[in-house]
Amino acid sequence: MQITGMYWGSKLLKYVDFPTSEVLGPEATNDEIKGLIERHGEVFIKPMFKGGVGKKGKAGLLGRAKDISTATKEKARLYFAEHFHNNTYSKAEGVTFEGAVPAEYEIYFSITDSTEYRAPMITLTHHGGMDIEELPPEKIARIPFDPLTGLKGFVISNALRKLGAPKELVSPLVQNLPKLWDLFHNYGMTTLELNPIRMQSNKKGRLVPVACDFKCAFDGDDPNANRLGLPEDLDTSSYSDFELEVNSLRTYQGQSDVFVINEEGTISAMTFGGGANALVTELLGDAATISSDFGGNPPYAKMHDISRIVYKYWLEQSNVLFIIGGKANNTDIYETFRAMADALRDHFNKYGPQPLYVVVGRGGPNLVRGMGYMQDTLDSLGLPYQMFGFDSAMSEVVNYAQAADEWMKNGGREIVAKSMGIA
Amino acid sequence: MHPQGVEAFPHYYVGINSLTDLATKDDRVCVLNITGGESRTVTPVSHVYSGGNIVCGTAPGRSGSKMKTSIGDIPVYDNIAEAVDAGHEFNVVVVYLPPSGVRDGVIEAIRVNPNLTKIVILTEKVPVRDARVIRAMGQMRGIDIFGANCLGLADAHNHVRIGGALGGSAPEESLLPGSVAIYSNSGNFTTTIAVYLATAGWGSTVSFSSGKDVYIHYAAPEWTHAFHADDRSKAAVMYIEPGGYYEHDLEFDKPVVACVVGRWKAKLTKACGHAGAIAGAGDNAMAKEEWFMNKFGVDDVFTPENPVCTEKGAVVLNIAHIPAAMTAVMEKRGAKPDFEPVGDLSLKCWFSNTQGIDLPDHLNPPVVEAMAPYNEQIAGLNEQVGVVFPRQSMKDASGASMMDPKTQVTKIHGTSVLDASTHNFEANLVQSLVREYPDANGEALANVALNTFVNQEGKVGLAAADAAREAGNSPNTALSAAVAMVGPKQVERSRNAASALVELFKKSGLEDPATDGFDFSAQLDAADTDTFLAESPCKCGFAMLAAIEARGAKSVFIEFLQALAAKRGSNLSCNVLAAAITTHLAWPALMRKRLSLTTIANMPWHFRIYSTLIGSAASAESQRKGNFCGVETKELMNSWSFTETAHLALLGKRPNDEELYAFSVLLGLIISNGPGTISAQGAKGAVAADGPEDPQRIQVNKGYIGFLTHTGYAHGGNGYEAIAFLLDRFRDSGLSDPGSEGHGLDLSSMATQYAKDYLAYKKKAKAEGNLAYAKIPCTGHPVFKGEDVNFDPREVFVGDLFKKRGDYNVFHEFYRELVQALYKTGVTRNVFCVNVDAVIAVLLLKMLWQPHAAGEIDDATMESAAFTTFLFGRMIGSAAEIDDHTNRGKNMDTRTAASKCSHVG
Repeated sequence: MQITGMYWGSKLLKYVDFPTSEVLGPEATNDEIKGLIERHGEVFIKPMFKGGVGKKGKAGLLGRAKDISTATKEKARLYFAEHFHNNTYSKAEGVTFEGAVPAEYEIYFSITDSTEYRAPMITLTHHGGMDIEELPPEKIARIPFDPLTGLKGFVISNALRKLGAPKELVSPLVQNLPKLWDLFHNYGMTTLELNPIRMQSNKKGRLVPVACDFKCAFDGDDPNANRLGLPEDLDTSSYSDFELEVNSLRTYQGQSDVFVINEEGTISAMTFGGGANALVTELLGDAATISSDFGGNPPYAKMHDISRIVYKYWLEQSNVLFIIGGKANNTDIYETFRAMADALRDHFNKYGPQPLYVVVGRGGPNLVRGMGYMQDTLDSLGLPYQMFGFDSAMSEVVNYAQAADEWMKNGGREIVAKSMGIA
Repeated sequence: MHPQGVEAFPHYYVGINSLTDLATKDDRVCVLNITGGESRTVTPVSHVYSGGNIVCGTAPGRSGSKMKTSIGDIPVYDNIAEAVDAGHEFNVVVVYLPPSGVRDGVIEAIRVNPNLTKIVILTEKVPVRDARVIRAMGQMRGIDIFGANCLGLADAHNHVRIGGALGGSAPEESLLPGSVAIYSNSGNFTTTIAVYLATAGWGSTVSFSSGKDVYIHYAAPEWTHAFHADDRSKAAVMYIEPGGYYEHDLEFDKPVVACVVGRWKAKLTKACGHAGAIAGAGDNAMAKEEWFMNKFGVDDVFTPENPVCTEKGAVVLNIAHIPAAMTAVMEKRGAKPDFEPVGDLSLKCWFSNTQGIDLPDHLNPPVVEAMAPYNEQIAGLNEQVGVVFPRQSMKDASGASMMDPKTQVTKIHGTSVLDASTHNFEANLVQSLVREYPDANGEALANVALNTFVNQEGKVGLAAADAAREAGNSPNTALSAAVAMVGPKQVERSRNAASALVELFKKSGLEDPATDGFDFSAQLDAADTDTFLAESPCKCGFAMLAAIEARGAKSVFIEFLQALAAKRGSNLSCNVLAAAITTHLAWPALMRKRLSLTTIANMPWHFRIYSTLIGSAASAESQRKGNFCGVETKELMNSWSFTETAHLALLGKRPNDEELYAFSVLLGLIISNGPGTISAQGAKGAVAADGPEDPQRIQVNKGYIGFLTHTGYAHGGNGYEAIAFLLDRFRDSGLSDPGSEGHGLDLSSMATQYAKDYLAYKKKAKAEGNLAYAKIPCTGHPVFKGEDVNFDPREVFVGDLFKKRGDYNVFHEFYRELVQALYKTGVTRNVFCVNVDAVIAVLLLKMLWQPHAAGEIDDATMESAAFTTFLFGRMIGSAAEIDDHTNRGKNMDTRTAASKCSHVG
């Protein structure tokens, strides 16, 4: 799950007492917005997107207002704003009103896990407020640190010294930035980014860091994120109904990762193993409905559930049901094939028979028993099929599945339907 | 903050200098969660392959047990400290713990064993937060950590495998000693690449599955260093996925084929498959291809058509191209493969059926003989008839029934009880064993077989049941006595005949046993007279044949038996004919390998018990020779459905259409509540105690006794509570026909008045401190609650079913009024649902109302009828559990371990 923006960001930062700009949500009344303008002189109006959506400012999706009428107009403009970024379309659901924070300095700060250092790492610069990628390396400090001791003030202090940051920044940042480690590490985050943190003068003239934008990503495998009590639908925009339904089956035994490739695809691949997932999805391209990884020796009941869901969403439009994996090390082929076959029979019983070409490539424990069970089921359903041994190149089996799809597209589907007596 | 390991890595600890040290004969291993699902099958294979390198394992609560392997037992302890205290010395820990336990397991291992040098983590989905800590702990103590989500390490030269299932269940098949080291982000592809390399004559030194989490603890840089230091490894294959900068700075002194896969993953916005295979712009597949191309000095990827490579290496995007690329690179160095190629990677079709469609040639590859030993297995498969289920512990598990916790609807062999309730009793009885519903011909045959044996006149079982009733027992106890008499000897002939029919016809090509004109001449010659024929004529057998004819039913097996009797001049008995009918019903599913031979052999026994149980529910005085409850047995056999017969046994009359439908629905609804329900537990326990691993010894009738003894006044008899409640409400109402909408009663007022009375009663009881005040039966449900208005979907389903037929039930309507009234008067905080138990009660009461009102049956009889109806319906589900447990269960598998039992003082 990813979160962007200060509406939820400010709530999360409060857990560790990190100062934030004052934020009102889409439910704010005119009086409340007026009050915000009076306190801060100006407000920013930002559209609220679910999930991780970047580059909003560059797309003009940012409003500013010094009076209520402008604020209301901007609200109307941005409330359902549409945004296309990184091949992903998003639509806003509401706006936030954020009090302006006048400042001399803007800080960029993030915590992530570095695969170079194999440790958590901060990225820090006092040239913030812009894309970090656009800065030259010498203006950015990337410092790994020990997760057992956590992010300490001296790590920040050293980073700022390395950057040659103005001295007045050092003390407030050393005091405040380490708090973010608690939020990052203890609540199951994999990325936490504040950009910008604006350094605002307080009444005594000292600088105080104020978070003015927020981005984070949570580790889907870490239950600590649940302790935040965030609404479950915060990031549902990035999951289809199909993905959500399969994800509800996630347990540690047996992968159940799926990703919708093409809603108009015609080959539905039940793929086993991360490697097979990468290879098959790449070779099938847009012909695939989904990319999947069901390896990890799922038990019968789970595999049956997964198959039921996959068939429910994708089978009707599919020409080819493609069951593919390498020579399994531990996944029981009999159990997984029996589950897929039984679910297919149940699907036909429930939704009626449909023309389908079945292509299988697999190896592993109880292989022949599994293929035998699948054979009997497909024979009883009247579906044409070919099953290949694991000593066939997987890519060749993928090519075969594509050829079967082409044939089905060019009249084969009708021929199969006729042979099944459903034309 | 870390001890100094290999000098080449000054900034972090690395202990392994050469791949020769990765998996050695000297490594001694402790496996955490050794008895877990995955380890249980993998660890013994690793142990045997490596010549016994696993010294111990841990599994909380299992201290003192052992994991058996063919070269000796592996002792199991509660935790590592106990294993160390017991004197075990090991330098490697393999982690099979669930994700939430991995970090603590690793910390414990490091804490108690100062001799640890390697930790291999197999577990998937370890949180990144824990990976951070694990990494830091390993660094602090100078331990190499592999994984997580890896498949471990294997050395084909040393014949050692540590951790997961590299090479699968037969590692020597794939891990052929040679000169190529394998590093793979994918566990499955580690083995697959080894198999592929062998097709070009390349064997392996070390196979290493790195895992592909965000943290890869032992990653490409340190592996590459160790590869260079290993003299056996002349070349390497690296299988790399997007995400992470692990390979960015690699420098190679030996040739490498890098397979970079995952260009499409650039489109991903979240991980799919490997958690760490999610990339930014700088570490996606395209970027990684370029890293490796620069290292090798090539400007394109290698394909068989465009074999671009240098003596430094090649980049491929398809693992099938790895063997050719390896050969091409090594040729440039003048190196030859390790051995003659083993197999090839061409398409090999093992199973095919075009279903008679004229496919183009390229879609119709010839079926080839599979490599050994798969060819023999396929040949064996073609010989096998029916399915052979793997045996496993079936405690609280079932392959027959399953309750959906969300909907609370139970499925029996994939059919929900709601759908089952739209089928008749006999169809559900067949489905419970055959897993499929019979067609009309099948139903006709089933009705003949079931009605033939329903009359219990003169049977000792009926006398026993009556005596039990006389002694004041509940219906289930009385019926147990009757069922006890249907022992194995009673059905021996039928069972033998069923098995013999399968043996005769299994290779005959018969698919549909209702086929006309099937040629069974070969079977006529081969059939054994003693198995199928009787010397003396059997009246019952004649009656069955007449009934089959009267119903216009047909079966190849019946025709075969008639032809056999005619040919040999002998007679047919009802026992053999019953076997022919049950075999007919099961045949299509048997041929499709949905059923086992055990089920086929036992089906006549189940059928006999069905008849006995229904027949014995009627008293001895209502049964005479040739007459059951006032109806000629012959008439039952010729024209009655078994649903009608059950109604007759219970209520003494043939139901009309409306009654028949309601009765079928009622029986269907109570088929099963899943394997956890007490009746199922009784049936399963009875089977487990006989030892299903030797299925011949299972006493099927005892399974039914188990089910019957596990019902009672609280389970099965409780439907009467709601009936009693309704009787109290309607006793003096003057209601004559509960099926007529014109009943003239103001249900709303009745419900409101009751709700007010109940509120007053409840307040008074509470004021007196009596919290055990009487609750209203069948309203509310622990799952279907919390909404303003709540519904039990099962109740809604049945309500709609009857509404569509135009069938009215005043008691059902009253219940619906009642839940509203209870809310309006403030008894409940929202509108409770009418639950499914109420449906059962209202259906039953509607059937029994008129005889009750006429004084023909008293309250006790009513209670007995309600209970017996439950038993009829639940018999269907119990049959399925008994057969399922017989086929899949292990001896005594329903017992609870002493450690999980508690003593209450």
